[in-house]
Amino acid sequence: MRKFWLIVTHEYSRHVFRRRFILPLLSVPLMIIFTIVLVIVVIMINSVPTPIGYIDQSGILANPIPQPAVKWPERTVPMQAYPDEASAKADLQAGKIQAYFVISADYLQSGKAKEIYLKEPKGMAIQQFEAFLSTNLLASQPPEIVTRIQDGSVITVQSADKNREASEAQIVNLILPIVAGVLFIVGMMTSSGYLMQAVAEEKENRTMEIMVTSVSPTQLMSGKVIADIAVGVTQLVVWSLFVILGLLIGKNFVPQLSGFQISGEVVGTLAIVMIPAFVMISGLMAAVGATVTEASEGQQVMGLFTIPIWIPYFFIGTFIENPNSPLAIALSLFPLTAPMTISMRIGFTAIPTWQLVLSAILLVLSAIGAVWLAGRAFRLGMLRYGQRLRWKEIFSPQRV
Amino acid sequence: MNKTLLVLRHEVITILTRPSFLFAMFGIPLIGAAIFFIASQLNKTNPSQNVLTQLISNPQAVAAEGYVDQSGIIKEIPSFVQRGTLISYPDEASASQALANGQISGYYIIAPDYIQTGKITAVRKNFNPIASAGQGAALEQVLRVNLLGGNTQLANLLNGPTNMDLQSLSQAPQREESNLLTFFLPYAVTMLFYFIILSSASLLLSSVTKEKQNRVIEILMVSVTPRQLLTGKIAGLGLVGLIQTIAWVGTGRLLLAQSSILFNLSSAFQLPASFLIWGLIFFLLGYAVYASLMAGLGALVPNMREASQATILVIFPLIIPIFLLSVLINDSNGILAIILSLIPFTSPVTMMLRLSAASVPLWQIILSAVLLAATAMLVIRSVARMFHAQSLLSGQPFTRKLFFDALLGRA
Repeated sequence: MRKFWLIVTHEYSRHVFRRRFILPLLSVPLMIIFTIVLVIVVIMINSVPTPIGYIDQSGILANPIPQPAVKWPERTVPMQAYPDEASAKADLQAGKIQAYFVISADYLQSGKAKEIYLKEPKGMAIQQFEAFLSTNLLASQPPEIVTRIQDGSVITVQSADKNREASEAQIVNLILPIVAGVLFIVGMMTSSGYLMQAVAEEKENRTMEIMVTSVSPTQLMSGKVIADIAVGVTQLVVWSLFVILGLLIGKNFVPQLSGFQISGEVVGTLAIVMIPAFVMISGLMAAVGATVTEASEGQQVMGLFTIPIWIPYFFIGTFIENPNSPLAIALSLFPLTAPMTISMRIGFTAIPTWQLVLSAILLVLSAIGAVWLAGRAFRLGMLRYGQRLRWKEIFSPQRV
Repeated sequence: MNKTLLVLRHEVITILTRPSFLFAMFGIPLIGAAIFFIASQLNKTNPSQNVLTQLISNPQAVAAEGYVDQSGIIKEIPSFVQRGTLISYPDEASASQALANGQISGYYIIAPDYIQTGKITAVRKNFNPIASAGQGAALEQVLRVNLLGGNTQLANLLNGPTNMDLQSLSQAPQREESNLLTFFLPYAVTMLFYFIILSSASLLLSSVTKEKQNRVIEILMVSVTPRQLLTGKIAGLGLVGLIQTIAWVGTGRLLLAQSSILFNLSSAFQLPASFLIWGLIFFLLGYAVYASLMAGLGALVPNMREASQATILVIFPLIIPIFLLSVLINDSNGILAIILSLIPFTSPVTMMLRLSAASVPLWQIILSAVLLAATAMLVIRSVARMFHAQSLLSGQPFTRKLFFDALLGRA
């Protein structure tokens, strides 16, 4: 047992207490900051503050009220009246306005308008003009009705059994499971990548030969797997600290974040799916490490597992819109795609219990299978060089 | 000279006979074609009979939803709401009963103080928290009409003009902002270029390191000079990369020409023939810069593993445009895009992005190409200095300092 702990502490410290480990730890907070900056820049680009011109033939804009103020980082697009098309056209050609609208005389009946531009303005600028129009259309209405129409409804969605509740203000609670899922998978992949490397490397430089003289293969393998999971957990804990810190700071600036809370049901579901998934991936990676002859070869084989794990990510749009489509259900049952798919669906639908249970059972079974596979591949391949271990050999009934 | 050709021939033959390379060259265009085909199928007007659409959409649910109006605002349901899709219930108990019986898929409770607070509670069987899902959008419109005293026309106009006529004064063909290809065409072109430059440059790195690691280079050095080896390798692998570029870009153009029939695209989405020529020029120059940097890296690192860690040093400038992709596509003639397309290390990828996103002034293209060519020459010269027998045969560990010192000729 002492040897087992020796292996665990050696594996753990050789990954964690290294300068190279700092980069993956910091990569997540850096990515978050980068994404936020990018979103702000995109919004700023999409709301160019060049004025929009208009020619009002209907009289609804005779005494214009400006559109409701927009929130930073969106920039206000000024609206400018023109008496006729000729002057607006001249300013458009001169680049003083980005586009102009002609509101027809019978606008209230026909809703007819013309938009003239050199290059089609971005959607956000058009939206501001439409807001400007509707503000003026509502000018004669009672103020409380105007506010209600402009602000829209505050819809709170409840599940039929009233256990779950979400509103627009709590949008962050829908995205959080996805973020958690992505972080979990990234952590899982990097730490099991370390495991694969460790196994392949020790084989490559023949350390393995000396090791097996003093420890049993089972001790060696289980020690490595436990250490690898500990490395992954370390990473995840640091990342979640950063995310929670970011949310706590962001709460004060962004109203959409204020509704953030962690529901036990979601955390529980994610744990049920992620823990067996972690063991499964580690097992698979260790098996790969034991079968290949060189560490660089292992990385190529690793791609075979990485791709299916990320496949659901490409369907993120469809899954959010249609979380109960046959494709989504199929991918939540298939062990390799299940972790990602379930973390995407969980915020947007009540996943039926049978699906969760079936998926968890399949994951646990494949985790057990992967560990068995790793053990067998390890015993067979541990001292074999030059020739790759074939999958056929692993599954053959020969005793090891 | 003869030996350079020998090295070149060897490199081309080794790569071209590798199955994984052949797969990348022919497999990826094939996959691309398959995706295009699927996308065009999805884009066809009649989605109801499409197997694929059914696969990615929710199972058919009861379309009808109910509402309980505690505020007394809703006096009439306007005619635009399809009959039977929005059913009124006197109280929550009866609505919840109807939900349990499967007559409706959800119901809305409009709070008594709706005008002040705007509160609506939606109870949904499948708990889809997107507020406008189901009949949510229709209910909001119904509420608007009733708040405005039944004036349906005014309520409709609040969403903007109902009959909008778009007119462009410029001669250049315009791309619709809403068309998915406006974004995905530059996106695909950029990714394609990134992968082609990166993969063919990495081929060089792996071929140099591998020979160094298994000591073949010691034997090679007996009969070939380092300079001959470097030239042969760069030219040979460049040729391979060129074949790949032609295969990929060619399929891309073919698919695009096909898709303009399938998707009813305007001519703005056609990539002109000059695009292909500029594509080749920027590939060759970009390749020359990155491949020689990679070769320099390969000459200095002792083994494959350290090589793959060190590549980040070299490819970092190539990644910058990829990071900023959405900004660049959104504003492809903006200041950021112009600067990045002139800086030699980011220009190959950025310029292709801009060429596929919009029209680029000719002087910028030429200036960018000239700058890139000058850089390529400088880099090749300094890498050739790096490529001498001493560093090729030594096993000293790789450091960033060593690489930059050697590049700047201080080592």
